[in-house]
Amino acid sequence: MTESIPVNVVQSDAKPCQLHPQSMCPAFGSLRVLTRIEGAHPVMATDTGCLYGLTFVTHFYGARKSILAPQLGTAELMAGEVVEGTRAAIEVAAKEPGCELIPVISLCVAETAGLPEEMLPTQVNGAEVVLVRVPAYAIHSHPEAKDVALAALLRRLGQPEGEREAKRVLLLGEVFPADPLIIDATLRRMGVEETIILPGRSIPDLRRAARVGALAPLHPFYKETMAIFREWGVPIVGGAPVGISGSYAWLRAIGRLLKLDPKRVDEVAEQERAQAEAMVQAQPLSGRILVTGYEGTEVAYARLLVEAGAEVPYVSTSIAQEPLALPDEMWLRSRGTKEIVYRKSLEEDVAALDKYAPDFVLGTTPFCAIAKERGIPAMYFTNQLASRPFFLSGGMAATLGFIRQTMGRHERYTWMEEFFADG
Amino acid sequence: MAKVIRDLSDSSGYWAAIWTMCALPDLHVICDAPIGCFNLVATAVPDYTDAVPHLENVTPSVITEQEVGGAGTAPAVRATYEGLRDAGLLEGKQLIVVSTAESEMIGSDLSDLVTTLKPGTAFYYSDSLSEDEWAGRDRVLRWLWEQFGAAQAVEIRPERGRVNIIGPTYGCFNSAADLHEVKRLIEGAGGRLNRVFPMESRLDEMGELARGELNVVLYHEFGHGLAQALGQPWLHAPIGLQATTDFVREIGRQLGTEAQAERFIRHEKQSTLQAVWDLWKGPQGDWFPTTDIGLVATRSYVDGLQRYLGDELGMPIAFTATRPAPHDGMDNEAIRRRLHEKAPAFVFGSINEKIYLSEAGARHSAFIPAAFPGPIVRRAVGTPFMGYRGAVWIVQEIVNRLYEALYNFLPLDSAYNKQAAAGPPAASGNGRKADAGSLAWQPEATALLDAALDKLPFLPRISASRELQMQVEALARAEGLSTITAELVEAALAARGAGR
Repeated sequence: MTESIPVNVVQSDAKPCQLHPQSMCPAFGSLRVLTRIEGAHPVMATDTGCLYGLTFVTHFYGARKSILAPQLGTAELMAGEVVEGTRAAIEVAAKEPGCELIPVISLCVAETAGLPEEMLPTQVNGAEVVLVRVPAYAIHSHPEAKDVALAALLRRLGQPEGEREAKRVLLLGEVFPADPLIIDATLRRMGVEETIILPGRSIPDLRRAARVGALAPLHPFYKETMAIFREWGVPIVGGAPVGISGSYAWLRAIGRLLKLDPKRVDEVAEQERAQAEAMVQAQPLSGRILVTGYEGTEVAYARLLVEAGAEVPYVSTSIAQEPLALPDEMWLRSRGTKEIVYRKSLEEDVAALDKYAPDFVLGTTPFCAIAKERGIPAMYFTNQLASRPFFLSGGMAATLGFIRQTMGRHERYTWMEEFFADG
Repeated sequence: MAKVIRDLSDSSGYWAAIWTMCALPDLHVICDAPIGCFNLVATAVPDYTDAVPHLENVTPSVITEQEVGGAGTAPAVRATYEGLRDAGLLEGKQLIVVSTAESEMIGSDLSDLVTTLKPGTAFYYSDSLSEDEWAGRDRVLRWLWEQFGAAQAVEIRPERGRVNIIGPTYGCFNSAADLHEVKRLIEGAGGRLNRVFPMESRLDEMGELARGELNVVLYHEFGHGLAQALGQPWLHAPIGLQATTDFVREIGRQLGTEAQAERFIRHEKQSTLQAVWDLWKGPQGDWFPTTDIGLVATRSYVDGLQRYLGDELGMPIAFTATRPAPHDGMDNEAIRRRLHEKAPAFVFGSINEKIYLSEAGARHSAFIPAAFPGPIVRRAVGTPFMGYRGAVWIVQEIVNRLYEALYNFLPLDSAYNKQAAAGPPAASGNGRKADAGSLAWQPEATALLDAALDKLPFLPRISASRELQMQVEALARAEGLSTITAELVEAALAARGAGR
């Protein structure tokens, strides 16, 4: 770690005009988290245009779950029926079989009209009603809305009373389903007794999360959620089990925090490091990659790629600069990353494409399309990286294998570009 | 009691405006929108429906707390305009500023502001808090004509034999195939295609629509407003054998090409439509009277399919629900109840109906996509519902799914057919039942699981991963074990048949 690198959000000198900000609708992050919970039946307070779009992406990425909403058109808004309509939708949700939780997702129009929390029930037929306020005009990116949703759930459901499970670790972040298994198995070898992952599908996990021995954020944007755990007195582990040095440091940090047997911890950490190093030595990456998603996890991915041998001059993301990402940011800057852009726009990404002539792009769908129009291999960060393991040496192998394979297919991208060039 | 919506089927006037206007390449829209309204309508949804990476000719004003809190949106729209202008993105383009539900909510009227932007810039109030996408598309088309087309058309007169098609915008299910077939029918009947609007058109040539002697309005849901403004006779595009025949004849009558229309119909019966005749005569037709059908789609599709599958082929129509839903029609609450009670053999619909079928565990009902919402690519021109080719394609789809159902009924030797119970839904994100929690995976077990998943195609991997974990853990619990061993994973894989 080079500690002397000054941290500042460097923008290139000729800053392109920011016309097309890149994020899913921010509110989607909350829907993704809330609809997947077993026994949760969400109610969305919003206008029909918003409802149509958010229901669409929820049914694509969230859950096969029916979604209820009050009719909120001009007539209802003029008549001041936001609360009445929302209460009616809550009543319908409460009748769903197995309903234990009714998240009320309040969006731009309802937030502008006003939806006072005290006018909503807190429980209906035994189901908890939890208000989640995620107006897109105030949240700015969908990763941050995941945090807002999870924090709202924990505030209502978390049960900090009772004995602390000192050797239980809470992993924080939506990850590929195999990742928590790998992390859990590794931590158990060090003496951890159990791990929980949030956001997840289980309401009981939300209740017992407050009594864990440590919180380990795998993603940097869970600000409100972390604040709640601080209030509960749960210590937080910095960093994440990403790459060679990151995983090594993280495992040891967990060991120190939970006061695990240092010998066992060192053994596991050394073994992880050895495996990761061997893997990178056997199959190093080369080439220049732009990491330009909008998931809020881009900096960590960039770090992994650089550690594996790639050059990553430019990283951009939808979230604001987060303290938890700072160590990774410093690490990247000390290894040649020139620009790290927060709250990015399409124009900034395109400027980077012009400037750095990358061999491979991980980006949003509009940006990937532009890269492919130039014959450059490109993949939609959200769909392709979230769907494979990432953490520890095992995840590292899976993700790097995928990147290497894609970069090896560059002639496909050239061929298609040439085929359509005279179209 | 306030009205409650379940799984909204129809979008709003704002979506109508963007999806209609942005079909015209020489037009650029500034949507007065928070980032979400921009992302959903211009990227997230068209990615998975129209299968376009993003709509390039729309830019948001990006409403934030500041605008909502009292500043209003005019400065943001102006800044967006200046950015677009300076980037050269407005050259040769008509600029239109479109309101959204949120900008309407904070009372942002930009009629005056637009007069200070690029000369000729117009403001379109999308009435997004009241209007649905169908009324919205109809109004946008009329508005475009009044604002731009009519003036271009002053000197233009209808020409003999020329036919326009009014219809496809972004977000119109299956429009590529239906449009392709309707063009073929028009030309077969002796017409000459004049213009398709708004897809395949430019705004600065909208006046050319006036050259059409006849207009075909592709959908019942919208487009007749523009057709009426054009003042020439118009007819709706057809679905089914008789409706298509009537359509071709009517075009012949309108254009004075009756003989050619009749020749085309005869030739189609001997060629394209032979498939329907053969399937009717063959064993497949015998299934039709016992194959019941539920229809959920636009009125254009539902009425057409009801006539074709119900009246002409004799399949029992279990229920119909049209979009936009009439006041006395079935809403999604009623459709869901109906599908939970008894799902018909075939359900034509959107992802909503697909979810209701999943909830009901209706494994023996076949779902055929027939409407948005729902992620589905319909860009091939060979999958029409409309016209003669549509009649063939739909019945072919049904017959093939009947074959599929038959195949699934055939016995498979039980040695290969052991489906381990999936167990309770996953908890804790990693597929564990929350109260079980104490199951540890040995590294060898995890490795084995990963290896098995690696063999699967990419897409099913995630769900298979979860399912497998649940199966393994269910097995462990059944055996009273607290640690997942490689042997246990092997046993679960063998039982599932995925380890082969």
